[in-house]
Amino acid sequence: MFRLFFTPGWFRGWDIFFDLIAVVITLLIAAYSWRLYRINHENRLAYFSLAFLLVSAGLLFKSFTSTVLYYTLIRDVAADVLRPVAGAGLSLSGLYYRAAFFLQMLSMLGAWLLLFFVSQKPRARLRKFYEVSQIALFAYLLILISIVSNFKYSVFYLTSSVILGLIALNYYKNYLNTGKKRPAFNVMLSFLFILAGNLALIFIFASNRFYVLGEVLMLIGFLILLFTYQKVTGK
Amino acid sequence: MGSRRSRLELIFDILLAIQNKGGRIKPTHLMYKSNLSHKLLNAYLEELIGKELVIIEEVKTKRKQSPTKTVAITEKGLGFLAEFRRMREFTDAFGL
Repeated sequence: MFRLFFTPGWFRGWDIFFDLIAVVITLLIAAYSWRLYRINHENRLAYFSLAFLLVSAGLLFKSFTSTVLYYTLIRDVAADVLRPVAGAGLSLSGLYYRAAFFLQMLSMLGAWLLLFFVSQKPRARLRKFYEVSQIALFAYLLILISIVSNFKYSVFYLTSSVILGLIALNYYKNYLNTGKKRPAFNVMLSFLFILAGNLALIFIFASNRFYVLGEVLMLIGFLILLFTYQKVTGK
Repeated sequence: MGSRRSRLELIFDILLAIQNKGGRIKPTHLMYKSNLSHKLLNAYLEELIGKELVIIEEVKTKRKQSPTKTVAITEKGLGFLAEFRRMREFTDAFGL
């Protein structure tokens, strides 16, 4: 039988708060890159914006699931809403786990994969057909992994870690390519923290302290992203 | 060899060339500084004038009887330069 969540009692609510901070940060970056896309009309900016929007969506799904699971009152209201659709024998745990977690995993994995593509590709390559077919293949794999992850939670974090490792590597190359500029270093550092957070979350089955560690590391990663965004855009 | 400049980068190079010359430059100098053909520069200048990023001024000099045409950058043009620099910082940082 699977466990629904691994959050220590004292940390419940804090993780939602952390996630919501990350949602605001990712939405800011998505909005700014979308603005740049409207000016520039370069596809990579639209993909980049979409990737951060997907991170926001993933975090929102996670926050929603956590809120429903932690707080009984909200859980009862959600159950009343969903019962006509799900039927009288609504199994709350199964429904939430399979629906909301599935959407969370799909959004997050999609976001990381898109970021991986955008961070590694030279200009305009994403426009070409073979890249699109590659993305379609990976999209299929993502759906498959998201389904499998419903039964084994660590598969999701393991897959995320692999893709995040590749993203961090691409940002390390970018850091070298930009002549070791500080903002490029910060972006690389932020993704290293997000990667470390995901690595910690792989081991939540061993101890729920890993959940706290993972959430804190990811928050630091997103805060470094905010700091870089603020420094670079002056906003 | 460097990659082909995008439309926005060309506009940035034109405006930067004007700014580097103290905000005012002769069209011939601008052509050399921005590394564009006469035809292409005129097309871009028309667009920039339409968007009020630059204006054409006529300056009288002691040497010439007729006034000389110069291209001057506007406040809006200077604002665009600052915004473009921020955009470039952002895209560089994220490797875009």
